[in-house]
Amino acid sequence: MSAEVVLRTIALGKQYKSKRWAVQDVNLEIHRGDIFGFLGPNGAGKSTTIRMILSLIAPTAGSVELFGHQLSTEREAALAKVAGIVEKPDFYLYLSAFRNMQITGAMTLGKTPLRTMIMDSLQLVGLAGRAFDRVKTFSHGMKQRLGIAQALLCKPEVIVLDEPTSGLDPQGMKEVRELIARLSREHKMTVFLSSHLLNEVEQVATRMAIISKGKLVAQGSVEELLRSKISSVKILSEPVKRSTAILKKMKSVSNVVLNGDGISATIEKSDIPKVVKTLTAAECKIYSIVPQQSLEEYFLSVTEE
Amino acid sequence: MFNLIYYELFKTYAKWRTYIGFIAVGLIIPLIMWGMHLQAGHNFVQYQLRSLQSDFLITGNLFNGWSISQIIMNSLWVHVPFLISLVAGDQLAGEATAGTFRLILIRPVSRTRVLVSKYSATLLYTASLLMTIAVLSLGLGLMIFGSGDLLAVDRDMLTVLPEVHLWSRFLLAYSLAIWSMWVIASLAFLFSSFVENAIGPIISTMTVVIGLLIISNLPVESFEPVKPYLFTTYQDVWQQAFKEPVNWSRIAESCGVLGAYSAVFFSMTWYIFKRKDILS
Ligand SMILES: Nc1ncnc2c1ncn2[C@@H]1O[C@H](COP(=O)(O)OP(=O)(O)OP(=O)(O)O)[C@@H](O)[C@H]1O
Ligand SMILES: [Mg+2]
Repeated sequence: MSAEVVLRTIALGKQYKSKRWAVQDVNLEIHRGDIFGFLGPNGAGKSTTIRMILSLIAPTAGSVELFGHQLSTEREAALAKVAGIVEKPDFYLYLSAFRNMQITGAMTLGKTPLRTMIMDSLQLVGLAGRAFDRVKTFSHGMKQRLGIAQALLCKPEVIVLDEPTSGLDPQGMKEVRELIARLSREHKMTVFLSSHLLNEVEQVATRMAIISKGKLVAQGSVEELLRSKISSVKILSEPVKRSTAILKKMKSVSNVVLNGDGISATIEKSDIPKVVKTLTAAECKIYSIVPQQSLEEYFLSVTEE
Repeated sequence: MFNLIYYELFKTYAKWRTYIGFIAVGLIIPLIMWGMHLQAGHNFVQYQLRSLQSDFLITGNLFNGWSISQIIMNSLWVHVPFLISLVAGDQLAGEATAGTFRLILIRPVSRTRVLVSKYSATLLYTASLLMTIAVLSLGLGLMIFGSGDLLAVDRDMLTVLPEVHLWSRFLLAYSLAIWSMWVIASLAFLFSSFVENAIGPIISTMTVVIGLLIISNLPVESFEPVKPYLFTTYQDVWQQAFKEPVNWSRIAESCGVLGAYSAVFFSMTWYIFKRKDILS
């Protein structure tokens, strides 16, 4: 708990030209060494938040702090040890991967990065063999990996990745996830990663926040959030129709849905014995009550309102 | 800073559109030379002399590389701004279109420094284009038509500038032309900061330049009061290099006004760019 906070947003908010808040009152705290998952459905405000963190757009309200430096007043110091990719990976298509790395690297280091540094980074994402090809000839997946390579080039302490696996095939996704885990483990990097994929965050993240319609709905360690009071369960009980009707009538049970493989419902853990008692009293036969502890269920329950 | 400028130049000269300008002047100038060569020049000089009533005695060949180069400077007046805006108008808008602002503006380099390096690259490109015109037109001109004195016509005054002074005259003329064209580059650069596509800045720059050139040069009474405030009124300052004697105070005044315009355009660009939300 005493870990250093490397990235903090304070009441961060953004209104685009329309007066609607695309992001509102977002307070994030990312500690050194975290793999922080920033989860939200399409249009939730993930990219908008990341653009503010990386100084591409100015916040309408609130502020961003990196390594204790205010982004608005000490931009260079704040961003010195930060790198990342925002939305889709774009490059100077008419230049080679190597040249692109030189250009972005020089902007962080103040001098042209060494050839070996660039080749090492490209090696890490498996692009060393294509270093001198124009980026124009790269597939989307290759650009995505080049994006990670250019972010890693200057050995940042915090790396901000906006949906780094979007558009990749399952194999590519797996590789990127493994790379992220490795960066954290071997290079002690702090990773801030946005995603709309629940299993992705579940697999790699240590801490997470959930954003929906521009507002944070939860923040904490992944375990903590999974151990949350709200729990989704799958109930196998017969007769199905009667069981469903009874569950629907109960105050402590919500989101009752009858699917092919049983009844899913949201029940607070402490209420489960009461539900069992009620169903048994009504002469329903309960075969199983299985908790659906996945992030997916949790995610849907907090974002669908 | 030099590193930033180096890479901005690198990006600029790695782009195909940058060479359109060089290719264009590389085609137009030899074409003009060829046309002149066919005419053997005599008609042209005679035309120039016809407007003079005096019985002037001319010795040596007045239709030479120097005069050709001067004619070319006079006739490239609308092409060159277009070629400049092609590159200058793309400097900021091009990065927006390509999405590469997301790559460079998240780096620990202030936007001011990024902008200064881009502006420097734009000015250097403009200078390199004009120097290419100078080298091509003087080089080819002197090769094909030989050297000699330069006949300078100024309203009803005719002066013969001796050959020995011409190198420094042309150096001055091209330096002034570069200074003058930097205003165009600055204007296109400014327009480039508004939008995410290079077509807009190119068209708006050309519209402004042509519109103002017309106002500056039309002998219309009602335009007179605004003329001193238009940069186009001062853009032909390079012609002062061929006046005898050289009117230095006139040159200083023109350069001052042109420089002020460039500075204002750049300051406006900076004000906009510093606050711009990068949404591409
Ligand atoms: N340039 C813009 N102008 C106006 N509104 C915008 C702009 N960009 C984004 N928005 C709005 O801001 C909200 C958040 O968008 P944002 O791109 O941050 O979402 P996201 O979480 O990154 O979504 P996705 O998963 O689709 O990438 C959306 O409602 C979107 O319509
Ligand atoms: Mg997004």
